Amino acid sequence: MNRAIYLHAAAVLNTAGSECADLLGTPRSAQPLAFDTRRLAFALPTPRLASDLFDRKIQRSVEPQGLRLLHCAARLAPSLAALQLPASRVALTAAIPEVDAPSPCWDAVQAIIEQPHKQLGQLLANTPPLHALTLLNSSVMAYVAEALDCHGPMGGFCSQDNAGLDALIEASQQIGERHADAALVVSSSPNLTPALYLREPDQANEPVFGEGAAALLLASTPPADTTHVLRVAGFARGYSADPQRSLAVGQRVIDQALSLEKLRVGDVEQVVGNCADGQLMKLLEAFPREIRSTRAMTGELGASGLLTEVALTLHLSHETTATPGYTLLVSHTRAGHWGALLLSSETMEKHA
Amino acid sequence: MSATRIVITGMGAVTGFGFEWQTLWEKMLGAEHCVRPWQPDDLQEASFAVRYAAPVDMSLLPEKLHSHAAWTLPLEKRSRFGWVAATQAVNDSGLQPEQLRGAAVLCASGAPQHMLADMLLTAAPDGAAPGWQHLMPRAGQVNADGSLRQSNDRLARVIADDLGCEGPVINISSACAGASQAIGNAFQMIRRGEVSVALAGGADSVLNLDTMAALYLLGAASGEQRWGADLCRPFDRDRSGLIAGEGGGFVVLESLEHALARGATPYAEVLGFGSSLDAYKVTAPQPEGRGAALAMQAALDDAGLRPQQIDLINAHGTSTPLNDVAETLAIKSVFAEHKHYQALAVSANKSQFGHLIAAAGAPECIVTALACLNDLVTPTVNLHDADEQCDLDYCAGQAVSRRVDYALSNSFGFGGLNTSLALGKYREHGQ
Repeated sequence: MNRAIYLHAAAVLNTAGSECADLLGTPRSAQPLAFDTRRLAFALPTPRLASDLFDRKIQRSVEPQGLRLLHCAARLAPSLAALQLPASRVALTAAIPEVDAPSPCWDAVQAIIEQPHKQLGQLLANTPPLHALTLLNSSVMAYVAEALDCHGPMGGFCSQDNAGLDALIEASQQIGERHADAALVVSSSPNLTPALYLREPDQANEPVFGEGAAALLLASTPPADTTHVLRVAGFARGYSADPQRSLAVGQRVIDQALSLEKLRVGDVEQVVGNCADGQLMKLLEAFPREIRSTRAMTGELGASGLLTEVALTLHLSHETTATPGYTLLVSHTRAGHWGALLLSSETMEKHA
Repeated sequence: MSATRIVITGMGAVTGFGFEWQTLWEKMLGAEHCVRPWQPDDLQEASFAVRYAAPVDMSLLPEKLHSHAAWTLPLEKRSRFGWVAATQAVNDSGLQPEQLRGAAVLCASGAPQHMLADMLLTAAPDGAAPGWQHLMPRAGQVNADGSLRQSNDRLARVIADDLGCEGPVINISSACAGASQAIGNAFQMIRRGEVSVALAGGADSVLNLDTMAALYLLGAASGEQRWGADLCRPFDRDRSGLIAGEGGGFVVLESLEHALARGATPYAEVLGFGSSLDAYKVTAPQPEGRGAALAMQAALDDAGLRPQQIDLINAHGTSTPLNDVAETLAIKSVFAEHKHYQALAVSANKSQFGHLIAAAGAPECIVTALACLNDLVTPTVNLHDADEQCDLDYCAGQAVSRRVDYALSNSFGFGGLNTSLALGKYREHGQ
């Protein structure tokens, strides 16, 4: 990277709450799913959007996962405005799961049931056009761009749990390569639908899913209102679904993320990762301290999981007791993606 | 930027023209199109407003591809096309399996394709409102090839698994700009030194009731009947909306050093990538083409090119009333100096193989690379009476032989997500 990238602000929404500090609370129990009471999950009520930023039609037309994302993005608007940047210098990257059953599908099902004699083409032709927008998650990116006035580089990602890291890396690169001076990184977990479970090859190891969203604001200059800053210090990605190769790929990814700062895992203050992931734990077994995770508070948040952990890291770095040091966040998806992100908590004097 | 040069060394395209890029190129130079009458499979009666599309014709499948695993593994249709295109690109590049281990795979595969039969499993037995709770006891009936069983990033992973790629495997989601973003991000990853080889592109098929209904309801898809199969007419006064195609496209990108070390011959060089957001309206492009202009300018800046150096713009050219005017205005603003826009060749590939939605940018990048390689520009077909606001040289009706040293390939996504790729003729000693 050609220049430093700082985290300025974060917003989260999950069953722990809507403040980063809520993630430090007491874990709640997952609840039975409405559509399958044998399964437990952390479901979230659909949030209400701020009417001063978003057209009221959006509340009605966007799927819950998009509304969660917009809810978080909206809360970063003041921090973004405070940077006073031209809109063309603000990038937007997004990690948005595709919608598993958008409104037009439900409308079609309902219409067929109610009027089986009617021609299907005619039934669909009467679907309200706004509902058609829910088919495309690019609509959600467009709503964020419009409400928060981002005209700069963009990137949309959908690689399941790894999409959050993809979006964060792309945003960092856009700033690092001077294509933008700030970037919004927005993400959402998938809606809790049967697709989450029907796609799972291994029901025995099925995670407890949760609904949530997270958004981050990155910029090339450090925040003006704090003595502690959090800097993006490294990242790497890899993939292997081959059990014989997976550990080697994971090790390479971790080493690569640490390499810019010339670190080893033992040099890092804190590691964040899924403690239930056997392969991940094997790679980190030399790490002497407890590995942090908010999964017990939120369930598995998919594309917004890693960004939720970043948001908590930012919150912790602002605490008066915070000490400078590195946090390594490692993700390993069930599909085989490996990702690592290195954040450096620093005092402003270091950059004076 | 670093001095790393990035070249295209392999290409694969599956479109309505067939399963090989050579056929695509030949047919396009011959001013053909592959749009034909179409109805969704779910419909028994001709009640659907959209009557034409450019579907993949399976009768054109070459024998050598009959045994490809894409046709037998449970996969969505678009993933089958994409996997075949990716295989073709890798074979075309001559890369060997051990050379692919560190490669990245970047893939755009569009929105899920919902099978109506699966959704009908949500129907309540007592006539009450449909809901997921009714589907779960019938889970065994859910189609293995449908979106409820197939995650959106399945194609990217199936390609990586097949080829043994262990670099980043990334699924892109930026609507019709998806494949262009995939290629642009892959280019950037190689330039940064993250990987030496990347397979990038996309696949999509919206030729189903669910998605085509949505595109029609949004006013994007054409329901026009007047012109028969000749209704995709970008920049024409009588354009009436997009005509969907289906298929996929992939390119193999490599650092030039890597390519030359293994004796590969580049088709073209990727020089820059730019993206932007309209931040205007979710249902329409910014009328002056502000976002499109930003993306093109960003691609030029990224490539270190001056507007006057560009010879060809492979336009997004959707044949929708709003896009074609906005894109024309954007081109005129970026290339305003010395009215360079008058010297540009502008071509709209969608007039020939339809709109591949998330995958569109991939075959269009391939066509742009071939234009640079061969100094030939494919035509915009069905353009007989240009809109008075569309006053550029769109290469109407027939291919044009002209020098193409540098070109832009535009892809603009629904909701105002814009991308532009800058390509150049490969030269041994640099640009």
